[in-house]
Amino acid sequence: MRKAVLIRSLSGLLLLQAAQFVFADAETRATPSQPAQATSVAQNQSLQALFAKMSRVSHNLNYQGAFTYEHQNSSTLQGFRVSHWVEDGVEYERLLYLNGPEREIVRHGQALDCFSPGDQLLQGRLSSIGSRLIGLDELYQFQIRYTERVAGRMATVLQVVPRDEFRYGYVLSVDQETGLVLKSLMIDGTGRILERYQFLELDLNPDIKQLQEAPTARLHRVANAQLGGCNRTQGGEPEGWAVKWIPSGFAFVGQQRVRDAADMLMYTDGLSTFSVFIEPASAQPPEGIGQRGATVAFMSKVKRDDQIHRLTVVGEIPAVAAERVAAGVAATAK
Amino acid sequence: MTQQNTHHPLAESLSSLMDNEASELELQRILKASESDSEVKATWSRYQIARAALHRDLPMLEMSDFAARVSAALEQEEAHSAAPAPTTPEKKTSPQWWQNVARFAVAASVAGGVVLFAQNFGGVTQEAPTAVAATPQLEVPTTAVVPAPSLPAGYHAQPLSARAVGLQTGYESRQQDSRQVVFVPLPSSSQTAAQVSDEEVRDYLNKLIEEHADNAALNSGQGMLPFARVVLTEED
Repeated sequence: MRKAVLIRSLSGLLLLQAAQFVFADAETRATPSQPAQATSVAQNQSLQALFAKMSRVSHNLNYQGAFTYEHQNSSTLQGFRVSHWVEDGVEYERLLYLNGPEREIVRHGQALDCFSPGDQLLQGRLSSIGSRLIGLDELYQFQIRYTERVAGRMATVLQVVPRDEFRYGYVLSVDQETGLVLKSLMIDGTGRILERYQFLELDLNPDIKQLQEAPTARLHRVANAQLGGCNRTQGGEPEGWAVKWIPSGFAFVGQQRVRDAADMLMYTDGLSTFSVFIEPASAQPPEGIGQRGATVAFMSKVKRDDQIHRLTVVGEIPAVAAERVAAGVAATAK
Repeated sequence: MTQQNTHHPLAESLSSLMDNEASELELQRILKASESDSEVKATWSRYQIARAALHRDLPMLEMSDFAARVSAALEQEEAHSAAPAPTTPEKKTSPQWWQNVARFAVAASVAGGVVLFAQNFGGVTQEAPTAVAATPQLEVPTTAVVPAPSLPAGYHAQPLSARAVGLQTGYESRQQDSRQVVFVPLPSSSQTAAQVSDEEVRDYLNKLIEEHADNAALNSGQGMLPFARVVLTEED
């Protein structure tokens, strides 16, 4: 059933794509922009459906798979095994490092009907600015490119090009049967690939009992699955700090205390995320820019009264965006 | 000589070979001729390009001068690491200063690993300062320089694999994921900031990357995949 819907929406997209090519062609000759606009409206609806599907499927589906991860600053190819299953309406997830010391990240306890703010954005249900809903298509240009085979499965390649310089682009290979992302490339403004995930194998009928019983690696981290709340439909404002500038389309989606001392503010546009960390510093903190793979960290400082705070913007966003976000952070009355 | 359209005696054989229809004998003849006859080589190359263009595989061809580009990148990198990072204080507020991150990476790299020339990879032909200027290109895909389809080469997405495997040099190199973060201090901050070791910055940023991954894994629509960016170690 689900499959049929996806295939229909994908084939619809392909048709629209073809139509758009024709219009684009016509435009260069005679510049009638009307039809192209009409096309893009219909296309956006299909894309929204595709994203809604993508964001749901990563929660609903039981699967186990192996994927590789690599990034631009490393010569290493890291391998992972990821498992995801639903039990009594609650999600369980495990991510095992397959190379080097045995390590694992586990995440569980999120109710199946709990959608994070990022999911809400992908599903077009969260308004990021006041009551106005910024569609993903206003932030990125989407295009279905071609079909390819990944992890032994057929996937539709979706190209996601940012419309401004404050976010990166993607090439996503979406599994035609399930809607799961099988391959993901993150690409910067010069067309350079920053990082890549790619599934090698995907099992849609894992032995759940075996997954439950497999012992957790001694070195593991329990990830926080409760950030930002469930099914919010409105963005909010951070407490204690004002962030005067964020790239358009990003929404403030949560705040938490980490390491007892640091405030962490979370932002997403549905596809890209960044976090702002602010904590008291005893001396002048180092300032500068750090980078690993697609992740950038802009280190700066901010004052509350006379107290210097260390301010760091971390995320998969271009450094120019991180720098501007950092420049706009100021203390507000607590 | 003047008759440009005179067929090379092997043209037909080459064409058969392209279609996988060359006989054993033809193949032998072509292989033999290609050793001495540059025209045969050139024709073969043209056929390949034509086919790649038809199949929209063109960016793959960049692989042919891959070695040259890698050496070029290496040479460049050496020059940068030998020279101290130029200080341009008046530029510190401009968004471009960080663009030099990649180029100064070797000189400024934090301890605990080797920064390969990989940071220039894929962008070897792009000078760092053009990065921002190049961005608008994405909004007007038709102006991109890649011939066949319509977008910058990265969107065709092959080179990374070549780097991961091809640039792994030396039998001694151990395959381990690195906690290293390329860090470039803000020019103005180095005098005033307390002396903080590179290790400290690295550990701090690893911590934050780990905490940020919770956000990324919840809010970027890709499940747990973003946790792959976290390098878990005993210290955590």
